Amino acid sequence: MTQAQAEDTRVDWEAALVQRACTGDTRAFERLYREHAGRVYGLCLRMTRDTHLAEDCTQETFINAWRALPRFETRSSLSTWLHRIAVNVSLATRRKASPVAPSLDDEAGTGGACEWTLETPVEVREIEAAIGALPEGARDALVLHALYGYSHGEAAQMLGVAEGTCKAQLHRARRLLRERLNVEVG
Amino acid sequence: MSGSGSADERKVSSLRELSPAIEPPRDLWPQIEARINAQRRSAPAAQPRPARALPPRWLAAAALVASVAVGVWIGRSLLPAARSGSDVESARSASRASFAGAPTALDVAYVSDPRYQRDRAALMKSLQARLAALPPAARAKVMASLAALQRAKEDLESALGKDPGNALLQELLVNTYQDEMRVLTDVQASDAGRGI
Repeated sequence: MTQAQAEDTRVDWEAALVQRACTGDTRAFERLYREHAGRVYGLCLRMTRDTHLAEDCTQETFINAWRALPRFETRSSLSTWLHRIAVNVSLATRRKASPVAPSLDDEAGTGGACEWTLETPVEVREIEAAIGALPEGARDALVLHALYGYSHGEAAQMLGVAEGTCKAQLHRARRLLRERLNVEVG
Repeated sequence: MSGSGSADERKVSSLRELSPAIEPPRDLWPQIEARINAQRRSAPAAQPRPARALPPRWLAAAALVASVAVGVWIGRSLLPAARSGSDVESARSASRASFAGAPTALDVAYVSDPRYQRDRAALMKSLQARLAALPPAARAKVMASLAALQRAKEDLESALGKDPGNALLQELLVNTYQDEMRVLTDVQASDAGRGI
């Protein structure tokens, strides 16, 4: 089976689960939860930097998803849809925790050409710590773009900012990571 | 942030090598399920409902039925006023009787109703002769309507085969058969040389 075929099978299987969940089948929804919980929790944790908040956000994400499931278009990606909900929930949670909005200063330059390669290999723990120490806006953009693979436009849309702002935040993230890790980020 | 032990000590050369997934420290599902169940008890209307999750193909069939129904209505509005044939009235009565009231699962079985079958067979028997007597434009219009209705019936029956309890699909199928009967009775009632 090719990778594309495997992906098609997974999508079909997922679409069937979504359809069953839409009829009120919580077992099917649990299967979807098990499939996506790790990525959703990873996103919430990186955005909130707090395990308890991340757990709350993950739960809220799946409860919101359950409510909105009948409106989900099975042609689109369930993971992207869940990540959008997770980003919204995490941003709202963060706003409640610290009502002052982070500054979204547009710096010169773009994050467009960055491949996020490191000049010398670095321990995962060290990178995660450096990402966690980034300012919120830069961290959000970096997580969605570099870790989750969303385009600038998609990441900007999820975060509710202009694409230029998202690129500027990525540029800022790269500069700060370079400083903190002491390696070139290409 | 990604756990502990050897996974954290692993070195990577790119941020893209970092795993986006981090397993929650505990199983969050029991709490999610409890909240979902609490919501269902307090607000049943907020639960996901199957009728709103119709695949686009079925919705396309519904749109087709709607468009054909509009076409039938337009066609009927152009028909001659004189429609006194007793066979036509009989067919209409049968049609109305079959389709009266809100559709239920049982309504879908109306196609096996002997009265409906008899009326439909009679109309189909004379259809070719009636069509031959129509002007070419009217004939083409009737045949296009019947073909569209046939496709809609097939799509809906196929969809109902997969989801037999779907009330919306049942309703659409009933409407489709009703529209077909209207087209047949209108053809029956039309005079040669008069448009449909």
